Amino acid sequence: MTAVAPVVLVVDDDPSVRKSLTRLLASADYTVEAFASAQEFLAREPHPGPCCLVLDVRMPGLTGIQLQELLAATGRRMSIVFVTGHADVPTSVKAMKAGAVDLLTKPVDVEDLIAAIHRAVTRDEHDRASEARLAEVRRRVGMLTAREVEVFARVVTGMLNKQIGAVLGIGEKTVKVHRARVMEKMRAGSVAELVRLADEAGVTVPKS
Amino acid sequence: MKLRDLARRRADRPTKLVLASRLRFETLLSALSAGLIHVTARDTDVAIERALEQVVTFLGVDRGGLDEHAEGRPRLRLSWARPGLEEPPQVTAADQFPWVSGRLRGGEVVRFSRLAELPEAAAIDRASFERVGTCSKVLIPLRTGGPILGVLSFGSLRAGYAWPDDLVERLRLLSKAFAGVLDRRRMELSLAERLRFEKLLSSLAAAFSHLSAADFDPSVQRGLRQVVDFLGVDRGSLIEFTRDGTATRSWAVEEWVEAGEFPWMTARLQRGEVINVSQLEELPDEAAVDRQSYLTHRVKPQVAVPLLVSGIVVGGLIFSTVGAERAKSDELIQQLHLLGEVFANALARKQGELEAVRLRQDLTHIGRVSALGELTASLAHELSQPLTAILSNAQAAQRLVAGDVVDLEKVREILSDIVADDKRAAAVISGLRGLLKKGEPEFVPLDLNEIVGAVAWLMRSDTIMRNVSMSLELSPDLPGARGDRVQLQQVVLNLVLNGLEAMREPHAGARTLVIRTGRDGAAALRVTVEDSGPGIALKDLGHIFEPLYTTKSEGLGMGLAIVRTIVNAHGGAVGAENNLRGGASFRFTLPVAEKER
Repeated sequence: MTAVAPVVLVVDDDPSVRKSLTRLLASADYTVEAFASAQEFLAREPHPGPCCLVLDVRMPGLTGIQLQELLAATGRRMSIVFVTGHADVPTSVKAMKAGAVDLLTKPVDVEDLIAAIHRAVTRDEHDRASEARLAEVRRRVGMLTAREVEVFARVVTGMLNKQIGAVLGIGEKTVKVHRARVMEKMRAGSVAELVRLADEAGVTVPKS
Repeated sequence: MKLRDLARRRADRPTKLVLASRLRFETLLSALSAGLIHVTARDTDVAIERALEQVVTFLGVDRGGLDEHAEGRPRLRLSWARPGLEEPPQVTAADQFPWVSGRLRGGEVVRFSRLAELPEAAAIDRASFERVGTCSKVLIPLRTGGPILGVLSFGSLRAGYAWPDDLVERLRLLSKAFAGVLDRRRMELSLAERLRFEKLLSSLAAAFSHLSAADFDPSVQRGLRQVVDFLGVDRGSLIEFTRDGTATRSWAVEEWVEAGEFPWMTARLQRGEVINVSQLEELPDEAAVDRQSYLTHRVKPQVAVPLLVSGIVVGGLIFSTVGAERAKSDELIQQLHLLGEVFANALARKQGELEAVRLRQDLTHIGRVSALGELTASLAHELSQPLTAILSNAQAAQRLVAGDVVDLEKVREILSDIVADDKRAAAVISGLRGLLKKGEPEFVPLDLNEIVGAVAWLMRSDTIMRNVSMSLELSPDLPGARGDRVQLQQVVLNLVLNGLEAMREPHAGARTLVIRTGRDGAAALRVTVEDSGPGIALKDLGHIFEPLYTTKSEGLGMGLAIVRTIVNAHGGAVGAENNLRGGASFRFTLPVAEKER
């Protein structure tokens, strides 16, 4: 599916758990990187390709849940599969609400783990794709001039050129020229497509 | 005139001689009496024998004797006989001297200057005297009203020695002096005896007063031995009755007396009666089993008193002799009652103590179970780690084996990891089992550092969950201690849980828990658990180790009380104080194991 093989990042303070999980996931053809603590994990460069995090809930230093919060706070989105020896309800709810893919109870069965990792990687790939797409749309929006953005925002609301020209205090012809530039720069074939792109990029008419 | 004078002189001569001799005798007697007054109990025998010798010599007879009687039976005999002669016969032996002893018992003086003077009725006596060579004799009963206290006698191997009234009168005076000395000695002895008894009683009471259930058996054994020695008997037993009235246990000196062997006696004891059997023949017919046991154990007289605690018979105290058939006096029974009280209290205390020990064990067990409840999360984690590793390794191996080419080296590696993790899981479980074990404490030499380490290991993930950083500062050269491993783990566990609980409320600053070990003076070890919680309120400081005293809404108030109970039972002490830099410290001390001092 992707050129780069998915990487599973395992964070667990227990060396034998780390070792065994690494071994198991390697046998399922995953590339595994293991970390003894949240801090050790944070010190690593974010992985560029599809990946997921297999995270122990209870660890000395930063706990799994705290790491999840920290990643969210710093904008590092990750697909997380939690594993825990003792899944209490508040912790589980908190983890899932914060976007965890799954929360598995130790000892973890290989089928469950691989299924969860598969889902996590799929979600990561999906997220990565939409992130890339959003970045592209944003890049395109970034190429627009200020006037073009003003026209873009109004075109997608369904305003006619004449109306736009009246609001912006410019001629209808000028609006037409800007509109053509927007369509070109945004690589939109139709107004409908332009609307979708505006939606993705969050381009809206500023409330006056 | 001259003639008359002469005649008078002639007539006077024997009189004068008699007078002179009487005077000398008088002087001797008063000297003897005076000497006897200052005689101490220890020298009585010698002094009396000296006096007898002097009297015998003075009178020109051959033997003199003083028999002391106690409770109607001969007790002591003092005598003096001319060198080469046998000592005088014991005339109170009723089978040899029935007539004489009868007279004496009646308070009469018996005297004869030749055997023929004895009446027909005294034929046996006469034969007995003849056998020992006595030809003339005087026997004076000592009495101060009541039964005779003894007999003073002088005898001669030659016939014809007259015993005039005035001589008898003087000898009677001498006998009174003797009686006085014997009396005084008896009193001194009985006073000393009574003192000895008081001493025995108080030493027993002291020995039993802080008797723990553990050293009850040896203490009772020692106590019985002391009583047996004091009474001069051969055997002593203590039987304990349970509440339903059956005999349960017995302690004995020399030979066990099982209640079952003496059903008649046991039944009477349980009814609160005193049993005083001086001869086998005194046993009634219904005591046939007892009689058999008396014979098997070669027991002669036996005396038993019931032990009562607030009106309930809790046991019996039994003493018996093997050799002589000895009468048991009222005074002895009195003493046994007093001794019985001491033993009864010991039994009562032991029963109470055992009750308390049982209660304490239950409580410690409950405390442990409830502490474990708090630890469940932590333990689940401890167990799930090795189980996770085992399952992952096993499934990795399954996948490896399923492939076309099997990397045996890898599989071997996996298998050894599985074994190691399984052992680790087993260690968690056995540690848990140790904590849950309810039973008699077992005092063994142990290393406090190791105990602290084990508890810290157990609590590791709990502290993580609670966001507490726990550190150990263990003294590297800690001497050994003695104690029950499980109980001391419990102590450390409770203190750690207590510290963690204290830091539960949100508060500023880092949550730290430090466990320290070290020496507390030369003879003690100390463990301190220091937390960074809010500390102890002054009003709580003095009560914090009391049972059911809690400052926490969910606390039972048992954790620290259990700590104190266990530590005290180990001969140590507990303490708590607030730290200068915030938080509280809880500590306990234990004595250094004796061989390490």
